[in-house]
This record gives sequence, structure tokens and C-alpha cells, in this order.
Amino acid sequence: MISCADFMAEIGNYLEGDTATEVRLQLEQHLAHCLTCQVVVDSSRKTIQIVTDSGSFDLPDRVLKPIASEIMNRIRKEQGQI
Amino acid sequence: MGDFPEIPLDPSSAALAVFRENYGFVPRLFRAQGSLPRLVEAEAALANSILYHDTAFSRIEKESRVLAEAAACGNAYCAALQWQTLLLLGVPPEQLTRLTNGDPPSTSAPTIDECLAGAWANFTCTLATGLGVAPDFAPPPLPSRIQSTAVTREFYTSNVSIDAAAFTFFREQFGFVPNLFRAQAARPDVVEAEAGMIASLLLPEDGLTRRQKELVMLVACAWDRNEYGVAFWSEVLRRAGIPHETCDQIAAGHLVGPDEPLLDFAAKLAARVPEFGEADILSLREHRYTDCQILEAIAVTALAKFMNTLQIGLGVALDFPPRPVVWPSAEKIADLPAEQPRPTGEWVPADPDLETLNAVRSGNVDAFEQLIERHSRRVYRTLVGILGDPEDARDAMQDTFLKAFQHLDNFQGRSKFSTWLVSIATNTGLQRLRERKPLESLDEGASEAEETFRPRQIRAWTDDPEQLYSQAERRQLIESSVMKLPAKYRVAVVLRDLELLSTEDAAAALGLEVPTLKSRLLRGRLMLREALAPHFTRRTSEVAN
Repeated sequence: MISCADFMAEIGNYLEGDTATEVRLQLEQHLAHCLTCQVVVDSSRKTIQIVTDSGSFDLPDRVLKPIASEIMNRIRKEQGQI
Repeated sequence: MGDFPEIPLDPSSAALAVFRENYGFVPRLFRAQGSLPRLVEAEAALANSILYHDTAFSRIEKESRVLAEAAACGNAYCAALQWQTLLLLGVPPEQLTRLTNGDPPSTSAPTIDECLAGAWANFTCTLATGLGVAPDFAPPPLPSRIQSTAVTREFYTSNVSIDAAAFTFFREQFGFVPNLFRAQAARPDVVEAEAGMIASLLLPEDGLTRRQKELVMLVACAWDRNEYGVAFWSEVLRRAGIPHETCDQIAAGHLVGPDEPLLDFAAKLAARVPEFGEADILSLREHRYTDCQILEAIAVTALAKFMNTLQIGLGVALDFPPRPVVWPSAEKIADLPAEQPRPTGEWVPADPDLETLNAVRSGNVDAFEQLIERHSRRVYRTLVGILGDPEDARDAMQDTFLKAFQHLDNFQGRSKFSTWLVSIATNTGLQRLRERKPLESLDEGASEAEETFRPRQIRAWTDDPEQLYSQAERRQLIESSVMKLPAKYRVAVVLRDLELLSTEDAAAALGLEVPTLKSRLLRGRLMLREALAPHFTRRTSEVAN
């Protein structure tokens, strides 16, 4: 039976679904008996989900439009169009 | 004279001056490549950086290594040229005979200078075989093929920073710095000459297309049984839209498609030297390849041999996981079914931005605004992830799009336009980060993989955490938590979990190896989990239920 430290060493690949079948079975065997690691896996998955769904760092059009215009102005200036 | 007509090079060519200075004349090997002056110039620069000057090794020591290698390959042309060169440098003939006899065998791990000299030898031997040039001098007696002494080495790992200017080319062209070039960080002059060789040989599309040349690289590496090269070129081709499975088939010798004669030619030149001859060149001419294209195919195969020799000598670790390649063999080629034409273009997925890009390239500057609108959010997120400062990110966004516009000609459709933009944004962001926050480096802590992360928050989370807060509240919480992460973890999380790049693309954009990116991503996610836990753990009442 693997330890919690062994589990934590593999958790990255486990969360990515990137473990060989044999390793995955060992990890899941550990999970079946370890509440702490269950919590860590469950909350890590939820963390990823929340971050992905958060729409963080999205700029609204009213901010983006003037920036796009400014970039185009600089480009046209460089091209000698202004 | 040889299988290739001599086309006089421009007498004012810098390459001719380099060769005259170092050999006293221009060897036929280079004169036979007169139809591609850019190639000869790159060869002169490479030879100059590797061979013609004293470094940790003297020029004589390096030229001696080339002679020994040429003799071991049984290459009369190169052996004759090296013999004569060393004689002129004052090395006594009996010492040269010892070198061609292959003694004394080396037992220690080779230095970078020795590896480079060996790689140059394999490069010129392949060129001489491919071009079929007659020796400039009577060749020395060569013993039957000498077995080289294998020296086992640990895989090379470099601690040298990858920010050196010489590496910029690789970041721009491949999206990352291959280990083969990182391993030569001690010799930036050579790395620069190698970059020049790749730029002159692989990038131009006036002879073979870049894609065709990369396929030649893949096949030459497969026939040379070089796991590093096969993994590397498979990945390069995958990013250009050719799936791994197709590359595996091509590498295994299942040469199907319109380029079959070309790839068969490269395979033979790479691995079946004694069988290679004028008939192979005639065969390509019959398939309507021009002499220029054939010369490129020879030089690309020679470059593959150069890189493979260097990789083995330096013991460079793979950049990507090895491909499950069944090494090709001559029998497989003979057994192949009839050719099934498969246009190379079929393998390339369409880029939704291509039409707009073409409009911009043909002079419709205004069309570029559409590209900005489509990609500004992605570029901004990448930059805020790297810089951790919204205002800085908005400034850097302008620089990114300006750079993209100015270097539009460098975009050759090998990746999607959006991926290319993210990689420009990443470079722009990293540059700013270095200028403004020298303390917040992305490079420190190389041993992070070994540190074990101990979770502190171990209370169970609520079943549906997203219901606890409004979208705006959640967003604010995530943004402030992400901003508090150290830069190297923050950028991994942003590219992977917000930008939704694949692990490989995120690693490539940051110039990191995949395992490093994975390790930083995990650390970033776990740190975020710790930061978010107090907001999402079950209330005591929930636990009781």
C-alpha cells in the first residue's frame, strides 16, 4: 500500500489523467482508504474547475476597443498612413 | 568531377575568403554547392566557429578529430582534405597515419570541442557522399571500417540560463530552446552559427518547402536510429499539423505520399552510404526535383547527421518523450505497396485566421484590427499571468501586437496564428518582467520537482462550490488569489487553466521542458487550492448533515 507522500508525488499526473493503469489502480486503492487524500483530490479538481469557469482577467469591450484603436494608430503611423 | 555541376560562387563571397584563408584554396565540396550560395555561407560560418580557431582545443586537435572520424566513416574525400590540411599545419605523416588507423581510442567522455569536430566530420562526409565530389588530393590509405569506442555518458542537463541572445532564434522558430542547443550554451558563437545554418537551410522555401525539409530531417534521424532527432522532428511536424501517427509511419520506413522518392533518397544517404551513388541523384532528377532541391536534400541530411553526432557525443536528453518507432530497414522499402499519392497539404489543419492574415499581408493594414479583436483577450490574459499587473499587461499587449505586425513575415503557418501570438506575448511579458521585477524570476528553483508539497487545508469542500458566490465575486476571488502566486506558478496556471493551452504548448511558449511546466502547474494549482479552501470548505452544519 502506498503512503500519502507517494500519493502526493503522483497527484499532478493523476489530476491530468496521465498515469499508467497500474499506477492509477494503486493510487485509487490508497484513495479508497485515505480521507485526507480524497479531500485534496476533490478540492484540487474543484479549484481547477472554478478557475477555468471564472472568466478571470477578461477585459470588457469598452476597455479593449480603445487599446485596439491605439495599436492600429501606431501601426498606421509606422506605415506612414497618418 | 562529381554528380553536381560546379556553379561559380560570387568571387566577393565571404565564404570563399574563409575557405581560402583556412585551406589555401576552395575545396570542391563547397564549390559543388555553388547553386545555393546561402548554404555555402552558412557552412563557412559553422566551420569557422567550430574548427578554424583555437578554443579549449587547438585547431590541430580539432582537425585531427575530423580526420579520425572521416577515416572511421571510410570517406576518402574528407580524409584526403583533412590529411592535406594537417600536413600544412605541420603535423608529421606518421601521426596522421595513427589517426586514420583509429588509435589511440578515446576512453574518456568527449569535450564539447571534440563533439563539435565529430559532428562537423559527419556533416562533411554526408555532403561529400551526397554530392559525389572527387577528392581534392590523393586520399591516404584508409583501413577497413573502424569501430568507434562508445563512451557512456550521463544525460546532459544544463544549468546555463536560456536567455542568451543566441537562443532567440530557436524560441522564435520552434517556440522553445531544444536541449541540443542549450547543451552548447558554453559556446554561443557555435550556437549562433548553427542557428544561421538552420535559418539558411531549413527556412527558405525557394527550393524544397520547409515541411519537406523537416520530413527529410525526420527520416534521416530515423535511419540514423537517433531517438532524440525522431522525437524532436516528430514534435516539430506535429505542431505543423502532421499527426504523430503519420510521423511514426514515415519514420518507420512506410514512405507513402508524393515525397517518397525524396525521403527514400535521404534514407539511403543517411544510412546506406556504400549503396549511394549517382543513380540516386538521377532518379530524383527523373522525379522532377531540381538540382537545387537535390542539393538541399543532401545538405539537410548532412545537417541531421551533424545534429545526431552532437547529441550522442554530448549525451543530450530528449526534449520530448521518445516515439514508439520501429526502426526502418531496407527490406521494408522493398516490400511497400504501390505509391498512394497523398498531398502534404492534406495534413495541415486550416487556421481560421489565415484569410485575414493574407489580407493584411497583401496590403490591407486595416484587416489587422480584426486579428487584434479576435485575440486581445487571450494576449491580455497571458500577459497579466506573467506580469501580475493589469496596467503593465495592457501596455505589453500593445507591444505584442506591434511586434506581431512587424514580424508577420516570420509567421509561416507552422502553428496556429493564435499560438504564435501567445508565444510573442510570452516573450514580451518575460522581457518586461526581467526589466521591472528582477527579483521575481521565472527561472529560479530548478529543483522544484523534488520538493514535496504538504497540503495544510484538509477540510472537505462543499459539493457545489460555484453556487456559494456570484460570478463576479468568484472572479474577484480567483483574480486576487492568482495574482498572489509567485510568477512562475502563476503563468503556468494562467496558460493552462485560463488560456486552456495544452501542457506541451504552454511549455513551448515558456521555453520550458514539459516536466518542469507540469511541476509548476501542480504547485500553482495546489497553492491556489490552499488559498481558496477557506472560502469553499463545508460549514459545520453541512458536515453534520
